Amino acid sequence: MQWSAAIAVAFLTAGIVAVHAQNNFIYKAPTPTDWAALAKLPDFSGVWEVGFGPPAGGARAGGARPGGAPAAAPGGARGDAAARGAGAAPAGGGRGRGGGPQLTPAAEARRKELQAKAGNVQDSPAANCLPPGMPGIMGQPYPMEFLLTPGKVTIVIEAYQQVRHIYTDGRPPPDDPDLKFHGTSIGRWDGDTLVVDTIGFSPLTELTRYVSFSPKARIVERFRLTDPDTMSIETTITDPEVLAAPSVSTRTLRRHRNWTTAEYICEENNRNSVDSSGKASIDLTLPGKK
Amino acid sequence: MKTRFYAVMVWAMLLAGSAPLIAHHSFSAFNTETEKTITGTVNRFEWTNPHTWIWVDVQENGKTVTWGVEGMSPNYLSRRGWSKNTFKPGDKITLTIRPMRDGSPGGMFVRGILADGKPVTFTATEQ
Repeated sequence: MQWSAAIAVAFLTAGIVAVHAQNNFIYKAPTPTDWAALAKLPDFSGVWEVGFGPPAGGARAGGARPGGAPAAAPGGARGDAAARGAGAAPAGGGRGRGGGPQLTPAAEARRKELQAKAGNVQDSPAANCLPPGMPGIMGQPYPMEFLLTPGKVTIVIEAYQQVRHIYTDGRPPPDDPDLKFHGTSIGRWDGDTLVVDTIGFSPLTELTRYVSFSPKARIVERFRLTDPDTMSIETTITDPEVLAAPSVSTRTLRRHRNWTTAEYICEENNRNSVDSSGKASIDLTLPGKK
Repeated sequence: MKTRFYAVMVWAMLLAGSAPLIAHHSFSAFNTETEKTITGTVNRFEWTNPHTWIWVDVQENGKTVTWGVEGMSPNYLSRRGWSKNTFKPGDKITLTIRPMRDGSPGGMFVRGILADGKPVTFTATEQ
């Protein structure tokens, strides 16, 4: 009797310790003061579009980069590549058409090897509806919606129906994060700028085409309003095993006050696919005959 | 004026092969170096993600061949003036496409003309 009680206590204690090790931050219900504090933060609410395509009627040049080039062009400059890549042109990059991050010799050799293996006809796993993950998910031609709640910023991304969870409640980053498509994001407010630090990326995500992150990768994003309906996101990617120099890019988003975020189920009618070698194909089976 | 500028810019990007279509997949199955024009009757318009598909019955040497033409997503297009009714079964249309490399009856939408002469592009009407 005493033995079984002791064993039960031991198990319970072990269980509690295990839970604490995994998740040592306890959610606290926000108070009215916490909600009121949100009003002092910059207004990120609503639906924002990366600078692709024509703007909403009368909107300003949200898509233009400082140099005057359209944001979509650097992001998607390589027709076969941008879907899973960084999506924005790294400043000071020097590789390939449209530039690219400066890779370490080992990463560049690996990239060339994978590209050569794929041959001329190639596509990205996004053709099979696999979401790109970070950082590519932030450069899609679909809008995203920012939700600010006490202790958290949530980004609802229309493309591939994705969500990013950014904790701004003061919790520390995980010591040994599980590897995720969007990593694990911790945010803080630096004045009117939301600074988001993200680590722990899945090997299925790509920094740029054919280049995966190492476990040492880190992405720091600085979100701020540059006018009432324009947001700037400066993204700095560091990865000592893959990048020879930090990759820094800036993307501009435009708020569309008459838009809502729409449904995007990639598997609804996906007729594109890519095999393990990167070869793309298209299913032309007539509707209803699939 | 601005509208026209952006229309030109988008077309420049399309022609450069960096169209927003790449968000989901590449152009590699299409011959982006060439254009082909097909005229026929709309069989069906799939207003679906990740891409819309216009199925067009085209008469070729006395036979009906149904062509599949891929377009941008309904999400993208609905914000630029398209709707699920932009193409209706029975509509007579002419489409300019980038054809499949392998010669299959399919391609990527470039622009279209409805029976009443109205042009349709990815940037037909801006919202």
